Amino acid sequence: MSDDIKVGDKLPETVIGPFDAQALARYAEVSGDDNPLHLDDVLAARIGLAAPPVHGMKLLASFEPMLKGWRPDFTLVGLGAKFIQPILRGETVTLSGRVLRASETEIFVRLFAHGSARTPGLIGEATLRRERGR
Amino acid sequence: MPIDAPQSLGPFRLRVDPARAAAYSRETGGDAASVPLSFPAVWLTDPTLFDPVRSLCAALDVVPVHESQSFSYETPLVAGDSYDVNVAMRREETPPRLVIDATIAALDGKAVAKSETMLRLVPRAGFGAAS
Repeated sequence: MSDDIKVGDKLPETVIGPFDAQALARYAEVSGDDNPLHLDDVLAARIGLAAPPVHGMKLLASFEPMLKGWRPDFTLVGLGAKFIQPILRGETVTLSGRVLRASETEIFVRLFAHGSARTPGLIGEATLRRERGR
Repeated sequence: MPIDAPQSLGPFRLRVDPARAAAYSRETGGDAASVPLSFPAVWLTDPTLFDPVRSLCAALDVVPVHESQSFSYETPLVAGDSYDVNVAMRREETPPRLVIDATIAALDGKAVAKSETMLRLVPRAGFGAAS
C-alpha cells in the first residue's frame, strides 16, 4: 500500500461551476471544440436538453487540479472517462473519487462527476505514479 | 466491430503553444504552471486532424458525439516543445462509432503519450443543424 492510502479511500470532493454561457464559450475558443451544441440553446432544446451541455472534456480536465492537490507527491500519468449523460450549463458539478488500487508506486482511482442528476455525468479513472526519489 | 480498415494519418508535427496551454489550464481549473494532461484534446480539434472526421461524418450524415476519452503518459508534455503525432482512425458498426487513437512522440522518437477518443456517430436527424 502507498503510505496512508487504502483501497476504498474517498478523495476530498471538489465542487466546480456552475458554468455560464461565457465560460462555455471561453472553453470552446481555447480548446477549439466548436460544436454548437455546447453554445446554442435552440440546438440543445431540439434534442430535449433544457440547456446546452458542458463540454465533457472540460469536466474530465477539471479532475487534474483535484488529483494533483490530493497527492502532490505522485504524478498523474493516466486520465480517462466515459461521458454518461450531459451535465448542463448552470448546474453545479461535484467531482469525487475512490481508490480502487494502491501500491508503493501507483494509485488507481475511480472518478465521478455529478451534476444535478442522480446518475453521474462522467465516470472516469486516473493513474498516479510516484516519481523516483520522492 | 470494425467495418473497414483503419485509416492512418500523420505524422503531424504539433507544438505545445505555451499561451494556449496556460489558457487551457486556467479554463479547466488549473494554475497554468504545467501543461495539462488532457491538452492533446486541443490538437484533436486541429483541422489537420479533425477535417477527416468532419468529412466522414458529412458523408455518413451523422453527428459525432464524444463518448469517451483517455490519455496515458510516459513523460509529460513540455510547453514550447514540438511533438510528432500519429493518428489511426477506425469505424465500428455496432454501435456506430469512430475510434481515434493518437500516439505522441518526442522529436527523437521516444514515446511520450497515447490517447484514445471514441465518438458515437448519431444520425443527423434530430440534431437539426448541428455539426
